[in-house]
Amino acid sequence: MNHMKALNKKAVLLDKAAQEGNAGDVTTMAAAAVGCTTVFDPGWEVDAFGGVGGLCQPMEADLYGCTDPCWWPAQVPDTLNTYTEWSSGADSAARDWQQLKSVFPK
Amino acid sequence: MNTMKLMTSAYWRRALWAAVTTIFAVATSGAAAKEYLVTSLHSNTMVLVDAKARKVEKTFPLPSAPGNTPATLVPSPDGKVIYVLHNRWETVSGIDLDSGKEVFRADLSQKGLRAKSTFAFAVSPDGKEIAIFVLPVKLLSGEYQVQDTYIAVYDASAGLAAKPIRTFPAPRRTTLMGYSPDGTRLYVMSWDIIVMDPKDGRVIGKHLVRHWERKNFGEPDTLAVWPLWGSSNVYTFPYGAPRTDRKPDAPDAMKSGIYTLDMATDKSSYKEFENSSVVLFSAAINPVRRKEAYSVYTTLSRIDIDKGKLLKRIDLEQTYYVVQVSNDGKELYLGGAGSTIAIHDSTTLKRLGTVQLPGGADQATATMRYFTR
Repeated sequence: MNHMKALNKKAVLLDKAAQEGNAGDVTTMAAAAVGCTTVFDPGWEVDAFGGVGGLCQPMEADLYGCTDPCWWPAQVPDTLNTYTEWSSGADSAARDWQQLKSVFPK
Repeated sequence: MNTMKLMTSAYWRRALWAAVTTIFAVATSGAAAKEYLVTSLHSNTMVLVDAKARKVEKTFPLPSAPGNTPATLVPSPDGKVIYVLHNRWETVSGIDLDSGKEVFRADLSQKGLRAKSTFAFAVSPDGKEIAIFVLPVKLLSGEYQVQDTYIAVYDASAGLAAKPIRTFPAPRRTTLMGYSPDGTRLYVMSWDIIVMDPKDGRVIGKHLVRHWERKNFGEPDTLAVWPLWGSSNVYTFPYGAPRTDRKPDAPDAMKSGIYTLDMATDKSSYKEFENSSVVLFSAAINPVRRKEAYSVYTTLSRIDIDKGKLLKRIDLEQTYYVVQVSNDGKELYLGGAGSTIAIHDSTTLKRLGTVQLPGGADQATATMRYFTR
């Protein structure tokens, strides 16, 4: 951290929060018995026990259950705010997954 | 002879009266006893299922923007209206089951202010008020400014442009809400379960979950996004809790348990029943055999919550997020995730039937609910 310097307002605020001991107000989700993947996992690859037995069956059954609430914001488009039409019309993920395309920042 | 005649006459009068009252009771209770399931689909459709006939009875297109599955569903106490959180979590609507019309609508967002509810809203036991947890964000030209979270209470008869009749602060991370059956307590499920007076939001109690203090246990992990208490009035959810006195790779380093909150008596309890070995998403208590809980995901489990013992577990052919129990305690209804509702025997866990939902559309996080009307 000695070699990193805050460049914008948000980074300054983060630095300030860390110095004041407030950084702990935000915590990442833990990989535990409940939940099929952590937010920072690539998704669908490994369950909480390091295997695949705890993943959804079939994998597609979990797709909208996790994308609708922005569970995997890094892996699939955010349909609550930004890419609201991403899965529109593809009502069965197991059947219609080929209609789901990559998205790119506008 | 006269005595006998009098006795006989009295006997028949009593018998006749008993027959009349029985017929009246059957007629009145029979009309109110039909069992239903309601769920919603990614196609912006709400579906009403006849639970005993195992058939879709009606479908309702929802007045919602497409692309995000309608989430939480809450039946009104009389079973006439289903309230649904939809429109990318920015609207709670009431849909009349007889007419199919939208009879209530609370839009949470306003110009320049985006507001969403994370699964958390509740209908008061008298059906007159709807409490909605709101997360607002100001959309400014150069930044999004996060606002304080709050609970907004609406008059259920306010129609299609409902505005809050009162608001009060609520903790961030609230994901569920429910009333006590007498309407005097509003349970707000966040990191812990906060008990509020629904009249003014005054905090009148707390049930610790994340901040429980237990020797040799760390913080529990839960997934509290489905209001599944039904007629038992017991909010039930599975948790995973790490043992702090074990090595991380020990078989019993993580324990699975069931947490219950009886919203009628305001008593909570929890007990582990196994070393964590399968994922559990939601749980429900049997309203008749009240020490028996069921939990579901890719398996269906029957658990004795008194003894902390797994009684039976079966593998499922697909994932289901939610489980509901019939009022007689005999049948389990599994829904959510994909496009099927499955019915199981609550003792043997044997499959009794399935209902395929229209268009094969996914339910995602929809709260499939069991109710009677």
